[in-house]
This record gives sequence, C-alpha cells and structure tokens, in this order.
Amino acid sequence: MSAALLARLKDEYGAVRGALPDSVVGGARRREAIETLCAQGLPATREENWRYANLRVLERARFAPCPCAAQVADLPAPLEGFPRLVFVDGVLAAGEPVQHAGLEVHSLRSGAQGADSSSAQRIAALPEARLALLNEAFATDGAALRVRREAGAARIELLFVACAPAQTGASYPRVHLSIEAGARLTLVERHLSAGDEASLVNGALRVDLAEGACLEHYRLQQTSARAAWFDTAEATLAKDARYSLIALSAGALAAHSTVHIRLAGPGAEIALCAAAIGDRQQSQDTYVLSEHMAPRTRTEQIFRGIASGRARVAFNGKIAVRENARGTDSRQSLRGLLAGPEAEIDLRPQLEIYTDEVRCSHGATAGKLDENMLFYLLSRGLEPEVAQRLLKWAFLEDVVSRIELPELRRCIEHELAGRMSELASLKELLR
Amino acid sequence: MLKIDNLHVAVEGQEILKGLTLEVPAGEVHAIMGPNGSGKSTLAHVLAGRPGYEVVSGTVTFQGRDLLSLPPEQRAREGMFLGFQYPVEIPGVNNVYLLKAAVNAARKHRGLPEVDAFEFLTLVREKMHLMRMDESMLSRGVNEGFSGGEKKRNEVLQMLVLEPRLAVLDETDSGLDIDALKVVANGVNTLRAPERSLVLVTHYQRLLDYIVPDRVHVLVKGRIVQSGDKTLALELERRGYDWLIGEPESPGRRAAGHDGRAASAIEGARLAGRPS
Ligand SMILES: Nc1ncnc2c1ncn2[C@@H]1O[C@H](COP(=O)(O)OP(=O)(O)OP(=O)(O)O)[C@@H](O)[C@H]1O
Ligand SMILES: [Mg+2]
Repeated sequence: MSAALLARLKDEYGAVRGALPDSVVGGARRREAIETLCAQGLPATREENWRYANLRVLERARFAPCPCAAQVADLPAPLEGFPRLVFVDGVLAAGEPVQHAGLEVHSLRSGAQGADSSSAQRIAALPEARLALLNEAFATDGAALRVRREAGAARIELLFVACAPAQTGASYPRVHLSIEAGARLTLVERHLSAGDEASLVNGALRVDLAEGACLEHYRLQQTSARAAWFDTAEATLAKDARYSLIALSAGALAAHSTVHIRLAGPGAEIALCAAAIGDRQQSQDTYVLSEHMAPRTRTEQIFRGIASGRARVAFNGKIAVRENARGTDSRQSLRGLLAGPEAEIDLRPQLEIYTDEVRCSHGATAGKLDENMLFYLLSRGLEPEVAQRLLKWAFLEDVVSRIELPELRRCIEHELAGRMSELASLKELLR
Repeated sequence: MLKIDNLHVAVEGQEILKGLTLEVPAGEVHAIMGPNGSGKSTLAHVLAGRPGYEVVSGTVTFQGRDLLSLPPEQRAREGMFLGFQYPVEIPGVNNVYLLKAAVNAARKHRGLPEVDAFEFLTLVREKMHLMRMDESMLSRGVNEGFSGGEKKRNEVLQMLVLEPRLAVLDETDSGLDIDALKVVANGVNTLRAPERSLVLVTHYQRLLDYIVPDRVHVLVKGRIVQSGDKTLALELERRGYDWLIGEPESPGRRAAGHDGRAASAIEGARLAGRPS
C-alpha cells in the first residue's frame, strides 16, 4: 500500500475533519486514529491475514464519508417483533430511538450515550483491526445499544444500507453494544445495498458482555456485487457470558471481516458459525481470533465456505489460549467447497496454547462436491444443475440450521436460493 | 428391455468388464451372481451412467435405444433405476423431497404435470408401510444416520415410488435381517409386471427363494460364464464358484493370491466345469 495512498488519506481527513460529529467520536480520538493508522500503514495483501482481501478497491475510493443519501425505498420488511433502525451510508435514516424496559437504542450522532475511549485502544491493539481506526477517524453516525436485565428477551434489528458510489465517499457503520449483567439480546444486523453502486463500507462493531450476559447475534452481509465491505468486530465477554454469532457473507465484490473475541471472564463462551459464499470474482475473507484469557472458557467455531466461478473464499480461525486459561475447551470445524476449477478456498485453523489442561479439537477440509452424492442425485433423475445447487445448499446446513428465528431463517434460505438458483422448488428439497 | 452386447469396460485403465453379453426381456427377473470383485457393481454403475467408467467397446440398448449415449439423469427419467450397494448419505437434503423431485423429473420428461403434494405423500406413506419403515425417516436427510438395513429399505422405497421400467438392485439383500429380507422381497415382488424388468445382483440364493428369478447368470472376471434357470443358484450354493472360474490367472498372480492347493483345485475345476 503506497505512501501516496496514506498521503491522500491524511489530506482527505484534513479537509473534512471540521465537519465530523464530535458526538460520534471526539476530535482528539479521530486525530489519534489517523496518526496510528498512518504509522502502521494500511493493510497490504502481503500480510498473512489480508492475503485474500481485495485491497485494490481502497485505491479507487474516497476515504472521506460520502454525503448523506436520500431516503431509500424498497427495504426488506422488518422482522416481526424486532424494532428496527435503518442507517443509510452509515447515518440513521429511519427508525425511532428505543428506550423502554431496560433496552436503550440511540444513534451515536444524537449523543444520547457518550462514546467511550476504551474501545479504540482495544481495537487498535490488533494489527488485523487497523481498519477500525479508519472507521474511528471518519464515522458519521452509528448505533449505541445498552441492555439491562429488565429488558427480558430484548430484540433489535439494525439495517445498514450502502447507497453512494465509492468515488463520492465511504460509509462507516458503527455499533457500540453493551449488555449488562444477566441481560439478553437478540440482534439482527444486516448490510445491504440500495442499487448496484460500487460502495465502500467500513464498519466497526464493539460488544461488551457483562457477567452472565447473553447475546444472540445474526450478521448478514448481502451488499451489491460491486461493493467493497470491510468490517472489524471486537467483543469482550465477562464471566459466564455467552455469545452466539451467526454470520453469513454472500454479497460484495470484496468482503473482509476481522472478528476478535476476548473471553475475559471464567466460563465465558463463544459459538461462532460463519458461512461465506463467493461466486464470479468475489473475495470473501474472514479472520477470527478467539482469545481465551480466563479458566473454563469455551469456543466453538464453525465455518462453511463455497467458492464458485473465480471466487476466493478464505477463513483464518485462530484460537489462542493464554497462561491462566486452564480448562479451556475449543472446537473448530472449517469446511470449504470448491465448486469451480478456477475458484480458491483457503482455510487456516490455528492454535496457540500457553497452558496445559485444555481440550482443543480442530478440523479443516476443503474439497469438491462429493461425486458419490452427485451421482446419487443424478441417478434419481435430477438435473445436474439442480443436483449441484442442492448439494451446495446442503453444505451450508450446519450453519443455517443454527438460525433459531424461523422468519430470519426463511429469509436467509431465500437469499441463498436466489444466489444459487432461480428455482424456487429447490427450497423444498431442503429440510 | 435391456440388451448388452460384448461390453468391455475399463476403470482407471484396467479392464473390468471383458466382453459381457446379457439380455433381459420385458417382464423377466434376472439374477446375477458371482465372486467378489467380478464386476457386478461395475456393470450396475455403467448401466446407470456413473462417470469414471470407460466403455471400451460393446453396446447397451434399453427399450430399443442406445443407453450409453444418455446422461445418467435421462436414463433415470426413462425408467432406469439403480439400487445402490452402498447408498450414500446426503445430510441436509431431505429424503422425501428428493423422492418428490425424482418423481417430478420423470413426470416432466413424460410431459405430465407435477405430482399433487397430498397424493404424493399418501402414496409414499403407503409404500413406507409396505416396507415397514418408520415415517420419521421421511423428514430426515437422505440416508442420514440410517442403519445399513434402513438404507437398503430406503432404496427399495424409492424404487416402489418411482416405478421404473428396469431396476437393477445391487446387493439390496446384503445387510438385511431375516424379517427385513422378506419385507424387501415382498416389496420387490409387488413391482413384478409384464412391462417391467428386474436385475438382482446378489450373493445369496436365499433372496431368490422369495423373489424367484426367470434366469440366473454367473459373472466371473467381467464375463457371464454360465446362465441357467433358478436351479443354477441352488447349484452355486452347493458347489461355490470354483467350477466356473474361467481362464487361469498368470502364474505370478496366482502364486500371490492363493496357496498351491487352492490353485490346483481351481485348475482342476476349470478343466472339469468350464462352459464351452
Ligand atoms: N474406481 C476403481 N478403481 C480401481 N478399481 C476398481 C474401481 N472400481 C472397481 N474396481 C475394481 O473392479 C473390480 C470389480 O469391482 P466391482 O465392484 O464391480 O465388483 P463386484 O462384483 O460388485 O464385487 P462385490 O461382490 O464385492 O460387490 C474389482 O477388482 C475392483 O477392485
Ligand atoms: Mg458389488
């Protein structure tokens, strides 16, 4: 990544900084973020965790935030029982702030909840998380969520719509989520495009789960085929907190996600199930670090990736067990399906253990469609096209079956069917 | 119905079927028996169109058409059914919907509308009952977690629902308990009809007590070496295959494969029993 690019980044920041809202991120922190980023440099494909990322899109994009878009029509229907906030190009466009019975949801811009600085340092500590600094420097709005125990089984949907083309500026979705002791939340986070512009989206998400807190989080990335979508998520789990993250990435030309989970309290638990499907020239790249920092913490990591056409799908799942994390249990199952002669799959399970008394199992396999399964379906009269799509879909079953909201599951099945087939009847073939 | 003429098939450069000739007229049930590795499953797979089998020479006609020129899915739609020796598990693909897709593929091929969902389920339930299968298997993934015997019953269930013109059942009786064997045989027998042919690949004459074949063929080293009526199966049961084993193996391979006594016994049997 060239010095010229960093110089342009600085210039663009200098030109817009006066207009960036302090309520979202304070001026001093923005400046610090830019300086740190310039010192570290933008990510480059020669770095291990960016190897499969398509970073060229940054060269053609404007870093400064795009001008606020008009309202967007044709949004998908909200999920039943989920209050929804809609952000267009990173700025709140629709939906009322929520404040009742222990659930508070605001836009960051409204300043109803003061931004705190601890997140910036934590995110920046990880070199893979550098793009969060870019978000920090330029963010124009975002969502702040706080859940207290009184909220019961709280639910919320955050919808981020990318609209502007990258030449006019990027969008910076930002979420601060804090769940207090013993509280629970189901969060649906979706990223879509309005139209088919080549937008640049660079999101940052921070999650804090207090003791015994519980988060069920669905993330769907379905931006347009020309979009570039970057994302940095960081979560810290206190004692006995439970985090279930189900992430599905199907959209964008270039998608890269960095997820850093810190199991900071004893008994904390993360179950991460991710699926990525890439077709044509798409790149889908995910880096997940699960850091066991306390005894009896648990990680379950499941990844299913399908690469067709000339797509590249990568998943790098690292599990680090620190000195005092005795009794850690981690399981990892990474599987890739190569569905085209020019497609690429790269799965990298990594284990870093600094203590005894741990149980870690991992497996990673990448292969083609099973010939025996394929022939079985053909021998029953199914079209080869249908048989292949069916097997691809069945391959994602391990992840899709984890979606416990029927409405969301249907919606995702629909999305997948749409991406993999024009045949509505295909859906019937699956459980 | 099915006419195979001098079929030579190679797998990974090695010839497995070496001039196989067989005719199965409409309405007949033929059994194919033969030692392990003689090429029975290879034949079944070639008939169903599995990739990886190179037809070196020979012809196969099915209902008067050149079978080998058709892709596997089209063979199925024209009424060819293979009951697999080792049915594959396909997690995530629902058993009953696969069945429905298969039925509809064949119907579409014949210019018929899709099957009515309710009628279809009624039919499937009836056939499952006949096969003594638990209805919970309908909602499971294809063969997912099925026991060996359950998989075989599921193959027969598919056959009963699809009502093929020609069914090749590759060791559908292997792995079945005694009661299940009767259930499966009973299921197969309900399909016997003047316009339908069945080819049963089996190792056990016992199956043929329940499904009485019109002809029995012995496949040895890629060729039919003996054919006869149902009494041939009884004879095989009594005498084994040694008396039918064809050309002697090359001395080197024989030395590797058998001890001296067995080899000479085979030699003797060959001289005594080799068909002209
Ligand atoms: N894919 C393959 N690659 C190499 N050899 C093969 C392959 N498939 C079959 N063969 C060989 O072809 C021969 C015939 O195999 P086939 O499965 O047809 O035998 P079979 O008569 O069905 O035996 P069984 O009674 O044990 O089921 C065997 O020697 C087998 O090893
Ligand atoms: Mg066999």
